[in-house]
Amino acid sequence: MTQLVLIFALLTGVVLQAVLPPTWAWLGAAPAPILLGIVLYVALAHSQLRMLGCALAAGLLQDALGQIPLGYSSFGFCLAGLAAHRFQDEVFEHAGVTHAVFGAAAGGLVTLSLYGLLGKDGSIGLSPVWAVKKIAGAALLGALVTPVECWLLARLELRLGSRPQEER
Amino acid sequence: MRDRTLINLIVFGAILLLVLNLPLPVAGRLKALTRDTLAPLQKAVSGFSRQARESLKLLRGVGGLIEENRKQAEEVARLRIRVGDLQALEAENLQLRELLRFRQKEARALMACEVVGRDVSGWWSMLRLDKGARDGLQPDLAVITAEGLIGRITNVSARTSDVLLISDPNCRISAFVERSGAFGIVSGCGPAAQGLPVCRMEFIDKSRKNPVAEGDEVVTSGLGGVFSQGLPIGKLEHVHTNASGLYLEADVVLRADLGALDNVFIVADRVQPPPRSPEDEGP
Repeated sequence: MTQLVLIFALLTGVVLQAVLPPTWAWLGAAPAPILLGIVLYVALAHSQLRMLGCALAAGLLQDALGQIPLGYSSFGFCLAGLAAHRFQDEVFEHAGVTHAVFGAAAGGLVTLSLYGLLGKDGSIGLSPVWAVKKIAGAALLGALVTPVECWLLARLELRLGSRPQEER
Repeated sequence: MRDRTLINLIVFGAILLLVLNLPLPVAGRLKALTRDTLAPLQKAVSGFSRQARESLKLLRGVGGLIEENRKQAEEVARLRIRVGDLQALEAENLQLRELLRFRQKEARALMACEVVGRDVSGWWSMLRLDKGARDGLQPDLAVITAEGLIGRITNVSARTSDVLLISDPNCRISAFVERSGAFGIVSGCGPAAQGLPVCRMEFIDKSRKNPVAEGDEVVTSGLGGVFSQGLPIGKLEHVHTNASGLYLEADVVLRADLGALDNVFIVADRVQPPPRSPEDEGP
């Protein structure tokens, strides 16, 4: 995966995430975790160095376009990316089920970590019930969005002639 | 291999710590720079998605266009008559004010803005607008639609500004009930499920002779210095006494639909002319 493709994916991801309308209230109005999906794809298909760079950049972009203090999302993305990368050799990294499971787990984990960090700061006024809904919503959306994103990114890489397996 | 992994983790950990501990003004400038850089792209994508939505709506509603057109024509005729009535009342009002030597109220100056995005993280009820400090906007200006108040500006960068919606729990507005004159605080309840309130009015005085009732209109009080007086917010529902028994509480059904906002207006009473510096006068 060239740096240029990664930058393109991150910019498209953050703009889409900002433009898409909020999801339903029963999902805690959690946004579709598009940036997280990109981080997971890189974590499962590429080197650790690239994954950390991608997680840091994706988090900074998400925080810059929102109200979250700079670095909070990067922390959550790095945690999720490291956890996914840890299992890179033990799973079928190009299987849809793998992406759905990792998407759900990472969506929940990142939302939980953000709730903890923002709650500690006192910057959000949402009740724990909403947080539970949001975590469940993020997990569900992660399970739905991540496989699609991974498929698209894998196709893009294939078209561009880059082979992720060779990078390891 | 193991050493390289460790070095990676240490380097990225250090960068993350550095970012987390950036001084607030530096972090703010970095955020504003990113927003401004991405603003044209965001505007283009949101414009495209709006076009697509409108085309889809048009395709779906071709059959109902004649009926809708008839209803719109009726509404226009009704509004023209109403404007005519109001013009006569305005003239009378001005005359009376002049007789009483009251200071003349100026019409509200409004600035139209396009919604180009929402909060990326989903933790706040926010909108991003396509105008910013370059257009003279500043924090704490009221944002309205034709229906009523929707929020206030919180952050401003050169090309964009962020609006905290009144449905957000961090947004609290001093308001009063038009019919009874009772004051209270309107605050957001977060993103609401169907059937649940978006906003709530608290601390309503229950000892008034003219008590508040369901269906009463709530408007901004003008106290607090953020919103000007008389901006419509919504209607009261489910009026009840609060847990302490000292005040009344009620749900507020907003006049504006916060889920479908494409264009909004900024009440530009306090808009400053954009600052002019030699750097602004670029090519």
